[in-house]
Amino acid sequence: MAINKVAVIGAGVMGAGIAAQVANAGVPVVLLDIVPAGAENRNAVAEGAVAKMLKTEPAPFMSKAAAKLVTTGNIEDHLELLRDCDWIVEVVVEKLDVKQALYKKIDAHRKPEAIVSSNTSTIPLEKLVEGMPQNFAEKFVITHFFNPPRYMRLLELVTSANNSADTIKSITDFCDYKLGKGVVVCKDRPGFIANRLGVYWLQSAVVLAFEHKLDVEEADALIGKPLGIPKTGVFGLLDLIGLDLMPHINASMASALPSLDAFHGMNKPLPLVERMIKDGYTGRKGKGGFYRLNRDKGKLKETIDLATGDFRAQRKAKVEAIDEAGKDLKKLLTHDSAHGRYAWDVVRKTLTYAAALVGDAADDIFSIDEAMRLGYAWKWGPFELLDKIGPDWFVARLAEEGGLVPPILQAAKGKTFYRIDDGKRQALTLSGDYVTLERPEGVLLLADIKLTQKPVLKNASASVWDIGDGVLCFEFTSMMNSLDADIVMLLNQTVQLVQKSYKALVVYNEGANFTVGANLGLALFAANVAAWGEIEQLVGLGQFAYKGLKYAPFPVVSAPSGMALGGGCEILLHSDAIQAHAESYIGLVEVGVGLIPGWGGCKELLARWQANPKMPKGPMPAVAQVFEYISTARVAKSAAEARDMLILREGDGITMNRNRLLFDAKAKALKLVANYQPPQSPVYRLPGPSGKLALKMAVDGFAKIGKATRHDIVVSDALANILTGGDTEYFNELSEDKILELERQNFMKLVRNPDSLARIEHMLETGKPLRN
Amino acid sequence: MPAYKAPLRDMRYVLYDVMGGDDLTSLPGYEDFTRDTLDAVLEEAAKICEQVLQPLNRSGDEEGCAYENGVVRTPKGFKQAYDTFRDGGWTSIACDPAFGGQGVPAALNTLVEEMICSANLSFGMYPGLSHGAYVALHGYGSDELKQAYLPKLVDGTWSGTMCLTEPHCGTDLGLMRTKAVPQEDGSYKITGTKTFISAGEHDLTENIVHLVLAKIPGGPKGIKGVSLFLVPKFLPDAEGRPGPRNGVRCGSIEHKMGIKASATCVMNFDDAQGWLIGQPHKGMQAMFAMMNAERLAVGVQGLGLAESAYQGAVTYAKERLQGRSLSGVKNPDKPADPLIVHPDIRRMLLTQRAYIEGGRALAIWAAKALDTAKKHPDPAERSKAEDFIAIVTPVIKAFLTDTGYEATNLGVQVFGGHGYIRDHGMEQFIRDGRIAQIYEGANGIQALDLVGRKMPAHAGRYLRTVFHPISDYIEANKSNADLADLIGPLGKAFGRLQQATLHVARVGMARPDEAGAAASDYLRLFGLTTLAYLWARMAEVSLPQADDPFHKAKVLTARFYMERLLPQTGALLSTILAGGKTMMAFEEAAF
Repeated sequence: MAINKVAVIGAGVMGAGIAAQVANAGVPVVLLDIVPAGAENRNAVAEGAVAKMLKTEPAPFMSKAAAKLVTTGNIEDHLELLRDCDWIVEVVVEKLDVKQALYKKIDAHRKPEAIVSSNTSTIPLEKLVEGMPQNFAEKFVITHFFNPPRYMRLLELVTSANNSADTIKSITDFCDYKLGKGVVVCKDRPGFIANRLGVYWLQSAVVLAFEHKLDVEEADALIGKPLGIPKTGVFGLLDLIGLDLMPHINASMASALPSLDAFHGMNKPLPLVERMIKDGYTGRKGKGGFYRLNRDKGKLKETIDLATGDFRAQRKAKVEAIDEAGKDLKKLLTHDSAHGRYAWDVVRKTLTYAAALVGDAADDIFSIDEAMRLGYAWKWGPFELLDKIGPDWFVARLAEEGGLVPPILQAAKGKTFYRIDDGKRQALTLSGDYVTLERPEGVLLLADIKLTQKPVLKNASASVWDIGDGVLCFEFTSMMNSLDADIVMLLNQTVQLVQKSYKALVVYNEGANFTVGANLGLALFAANVAAWGEIEQLVGLGQFAYKGLKYAPFPVVSAPSGMALGGGCEILLHSDAIQAHAESYIGLVEVGVGLIPGWGGCKELLARWQANPKMPKGPMPAVAQVFEYISTARVAKSAAEARDMLILREGDGITMNRNRLLFDAKAKALKLVANYQPPQSPVYRLPGPSGKLALKMAVDGFAKIGKATRHDIVVSDALANILTGGDTEYFNELSEDKILELERQNFMKLVRNPDSLARIEHMLETGKPLRN
Repeated sequence: MPAYKAPLRDMRYVLYDVMGGDDLTSLPGYEDFTRDTLDAVLEEAAKICEQVLQPLNRSGDEEGCAYENGVVRTPKGFKQAYDTFRDGGWTSIACDPAFGGQGVPAALNTLVEEMICSANLSFGMYPGLSHGAYVALHGYGSDELKQAYLPKLVDGTWSGTMCLTEPHCGTDLGLMRTKAVPQEDGSYKITGTKTFISAGEHDLTENIVHLVLAKIPGGPKGIKGVSLFLVPKFLPDAEGRPGPRNGVRCGSIEHKMGIKASATCVMNFDDAQGWLIGQPHKGMQAMFAMMNAERLAVGVQGLGLAESAYQGAVTYAKERLQGRSLSGVKNPDKPADPLIVHPDIRRMLLTQRAYIEGGRALAIWAAKALDTAKKHPDPAERSKAEDFIAIVTPVIKAFLTDTGYEATNLGVQVFGGHGYIRDHGMEQFIRDGRIAQIYEGANGIQALDLVGRKMPAHAGRYLRTVFHPISDYIEANKSNADLADLIGPLGKAFGRLQQATLHVARVGMARPDEAGAAASDYLRLFGLTTLAYLWARMAEVSLPQADDPFHKAKVLTARFYMERLLPQTGALLSTILAGGKTMMAFEEAAF
């Protein structure tokens, strides 16, 4: 059964966020909540939630259009709206009686095929359906989202024996394809997988930090980057979650878990934390948490001292164990220091607990690893960590210290948890055998291709892979995927190769970001040594290579995920089609570093807007629109927003699930192969100096109200030069090469300007734009 | 002993005509340093250097310092000369007026230093080291320490030292063993041995103020646990006069190749009382404040000795009659032609001259930047000047002492056998100058500083302060027909420097050994190209006045430099691009 309409009941942060993500998928959604006592507007709760989300950063909605797909209402007047919903999600308070009372109402209004789910994080499914009719139980599952629902990729799914295969497939497919989630099937156990392990890990790390007498900073440095855990570490993460939530979560875990569970041993009272909560130090949402900004001392960053309970100036953790161990985890865990002993204690407890979850919370190790990667943003799941440490060494030390060795660790004797066999990834099972990890249909990953193949072409900054069916994939491999001369050169070579022996090209990679743009470090260095010839040559080479992509006699599809900025955006603009991950952040941001798009970005965005039938006619509207985007370094905060900016065109696609992006891009490329014709080169009619004057007046206006800086005016002037066609008039027709020449000239002018160089340097050193 | 005449016209030329020294008065605090004032100082400096210091250079070298039972005696006449020097106010010229100094611009002081080095480098070591101590104390000392010691250091009644090196550690100061134990009264007890301490003990001043690097027990390991202390030879009494003797003694002095009249001491600290300068464990910061100034000064030592060697060689080449010119007799009335008719003699003389005058322009360019960095009201200008100083400091230190060594060596060569014997004093310049390539960071360390630290800093921002002026100059003058024979070679050399820079930055990032292998050649390429730019500018200044022989000589020297010295850049680039693979492939056992 296809899910075409959804209802979410409960418009708190989670419920509203889930509704927003459903809307982001283009699916209409009903959002209901209670009628507040004495309210004039009976829909105030749900309406307020939507209104609030429109102002929240990071935004729950991917576009304004998505927000319009949400119908708000209340559970007294609008239960009729459930009638045509295919999936109804309950996201109300964690009280069994409240939930069950609601289920009765839902059951009375749902259509028989509708799936019902709860977003509970603590109540077992078994309990939830107790006393409910069988046909309700058949359609009932738990869908456990993580906060914020748009951005956290984990979805824990708990099903029951009552569910039909079709029900499970419907909800799984919807969450996977439409909501873009990594669906991890969990058993009906308290806390499922991610929070069961995550809460134990957090609690252990905090308790042990007190016991080992570590600083907050030291603990976060240890239980952070070295283990592939986000740099917020433990205490930083608790500040984010909210300290006040922890006692509730711990209490509910304690009551739900069997008495022999190791969690109880770690669930110790922490007087300091209790006092902090009482004093309002509940984390970032409160007065601060373990870390705070002391505004009385000029925004001094402070940290709480775990021994004294007083705040003191934050200090950079000095942890020799980390410096000496480098990437050698075993060395870190055996370091003869309080730090080394603490790290071992936390890791030992966490990984042993994870091992004990196999067969309890999950059937297999992969689900546990996947849950921690997607739910807690660990770079490596616990079993991947064990492989890094060495399972035999870990088990030997565990046994030596008299710890219990869970069955999966015993099964790992002389083995690793994962292995590659005949190009396939395999995972260890409780029996000691391996099972092959099959990707779902429609998932294609370079990571998998790399297990069996060598790149077709390769240099220091990029590789080209054969992804089958005559399609090549161009992958950036440079530091942070930044664009440089090597990439440009390999693009040229790739165009030659595809032309000769293949059908189509996909530009795609699996980095955190598609690319944040040109390698600014190299550019700045070249500018500092006045290597103007080299810089101009690189500008020209990039223009040539991108034009080569555009007019190549085969289709080129770019598939971004994460940031695609500057030169990365320009690649998209020169592709025949874009298949974007929904979480793509795209824009021409060059002005932030005092430059302008020089690899054809101006000309392509201009062409898109000039060709837009909705644009008013005349010399200025398209120019003014593109000027606004580029001069303010506007970044689309989703693929949907990029569509509004005409970076994505009609026919370009959006993939919600990151893992499905390459497959979709390849399919799109293959679809374009038949009867492929390269695009016609556009002709430009631009307003010339009079248009430039109009843009200048606008910028001057911004400068007067303090919104444009001194150097903004200089950069905007160069941009206006390009977009208005230089010394031309509206009745002249300009070729795209003419615009490219203007881009080159103005880029070279700006790159020699010390104020631009100061912007580049500031961006490189602080990651933030300099407003000079 | 060759006579020394301070090259005042050349100095003024560089200061005013090339580097625009008249605008120093626009800097706040420098209003009084008009051309008249600067000229007067230069002339007075020339007098004392020519008449008081230079006559002691040979005798000081012959006699050397004497050590007996912890006491060091400087050569005959040094004490008297020092008194004259001090009474003339020369110890104080570059010091802060708040402590009795005269606060002259660095651009002027650099020229004075050059004269002192030309006249008598050994002598110059004593006030030179004092000035180093002054800089560190002035920059980082507490008010109390500054009030107690700076006036005496400034007026020259006391002198100073810098105690860094220990028997087992010179370049790598992290290995230091000297320790400083905190006392209840806030002072420290310092114990350890320091070697190679210039002016560590002598009879010129009533007290000696040692600045000593030492480790406070329990501090961070290595270089991050080094602190700087002030340890006086005599502890000042209540009136601030030298009181009881402190626990610091000279154990011996070194017998060395050159600067023999400068006492190079082993200093033993035995529970000596000292006071912390700056923050605990931040000693290197204060040390580097001093070190950067010292490195520029050491570069000027190379320059000063080269000048003396050149003057001696020119006099000799004109006087010495020997053989006949290859192109026919030039001196028919005499039994032989003077040496100077020979192309090879001219090659040597012009090589000296081109390095000296180019090097002087570079030194004054940097010195003016020091003035800008210190006095300019616009913070952007100050920070640009600091960037420039950061990048040219290692170049000046190493390139000017390397070319200084070459020039003193050529000085001996022009003299032939008479240069090799001691009587003429030409070999002394080589011996005296040789240390300048070694101390204050050996030249190889300077090259590493340039390539490993200064070049990559802020993605090459320091480089900008040299590369952009050169690039802009080439662009502005590329169609200037008068300068065509200079701009062409300059452009070529600059292109090589750019190429080498991009290359070294790229390979060095991936393989640090490659940057290390290229470093010394790169520094020389950098120095040669920078001098080419300065020579082009000097030629540009002098061309319109070329009927004046002084200016005509500048233009010709500029051409000589471009034609005969700058082509080294081609070989250097090839060497750099060849990389360090072969060197590093050599098995250690095969050496």
